[in-house]
Amino acid sequence: MITKFKDKDGKAIEKKEERHYHPQATNCRDTKMKYGAQWKVANIRDTSLQPLQAKKESMEFVLPDGVRSADVTVNLFYELTTPAQKYPIHSITKTVSLDK
Amino acid sequence: MMLLRLVLVLTFLAVPLLSYGQKAKTIDELAKMYDASRCKTCHAEIYAQWEKSHHARPLMGVKGGLMLTPLALKKGEKGSTAFSEDSPGKMTIKNYPCFKCHLPQAVTSAEDSVAVELTEALLAKDAAKVGKLQITCIVCHHDKAIIHKRELGAPEKGVLYGKRDIPVHMDSTFKTVKKSAIFKDSVFCGQCHGLGPNLEFDQAFQCANLYGSYLHNYVSGGGTQSCQDCHMKNGDHLLAPNWNDDKASSELLAKAITLDVQTLGYEWLQKAGTLIPKVVVNTKITTSAGHRIPDG
Repeated sequence: MITKFKDKDGKAIEKKEERHYHPQATNCRDTKMKYGAQWKVANIRDTSLQPLQAKKESMEFVLPDGVRSADVTVNLFYELTTPAQKYPIHSITKTVSLDK
Repeated sequence: MMLLRLVLVLTFLAVPLLSYGQKAKTIDELAKMYDASRCKTCHAEIYAQWEKSHHARPLMGVKGGLMLTPLALKKGEKGSTAFSEDSPGKMTIKNYPCFKCHLPQAVTSAEDSVAVELTEALLAKDAAKVGKLQITCIVCHHDKAIIHKRELGAPEKGVLYGKRDIPVHMDSTFKTVKKSAIFKDSVFCGQCHGLGPNLEFDQAFQCANLYGSYLHNYVSGGGTQSCQDCHMKNGDHLLAPNWNDDKASSELLAKAITLDVQTLGYEWLQKAGTLIPKVVVNTKITTSAGHRIPDG
């Protein structure tokens, strides 16, 4: 999942935030994560989406001086084998204003 | 003389390419032993679904990949694995532990020469040859149909297994269909879509955790759906997702996963006179899947 910000002129104003949801395994001989069944031996961490459980995140962004409004876009996608192989799932954009 | 010729012809027709119990020496022989192309004569829709499934290309990976290539590489070569050997000629069925699930018939019905030929094909990027090795109808509807072998015996010669008994099945080899005790149960799929690390090998490795996730995080939370309920609705043998179909895969994921985004803009007062303009983004992802995502 990637969250990005743009100001009202469409210019990116904040570094994006990413969250990665997947089991992470090593070969149990060192501490390096391995990718590929032939190298992995056991999961050491699991950030996957779990059945019957919600995955909640809260991210905070500080707006640059003078910026009172921003478009927030959250992209959720599935990566298969390589980051280049993406399957889009959801993309939600919301405009946030500091003015009432 | 005419009688003798007739007898010889009849004998030839009655004996399949390989006798029951005899092992295949080549990829073609193994593919022939498990060839189910004749099934489409009567089960055209199911066969067409299966042809697009990953079961029809279990050694190919996604989008034309050859996922077993790292094992075929020369030992010590960049990208090789603990299962690799010095030369293709040294490769055996045991050098491909992935066969446990990706080609179970190789474990029971292939000579080591098949592993040698596969290694050569992988190194030559011969996708057509590698693609001949498939998880066909016979693998699931025969070889994997019985898990209570001490009570029920091994799958019978000439018998297929399915959701119900069909005393007369119009096939030259499999003339009967018997009801399998587990065809509607997740444990059937769990035979391959695994529990976690494969510790029974001399070099442990980990592939799919899917069935473990289902048991320990879905059933334990009160989940009652089976793998078949979601992935084989109306008997669909595509067994989605088909990762080669980008659009359908995205749609399937979007159906199973929800994303809720809530935002808040305000000025945070850390200390007097220092209002900090801030945006808070709260996300909530839920899934209706009966297993972790991702898994396999």
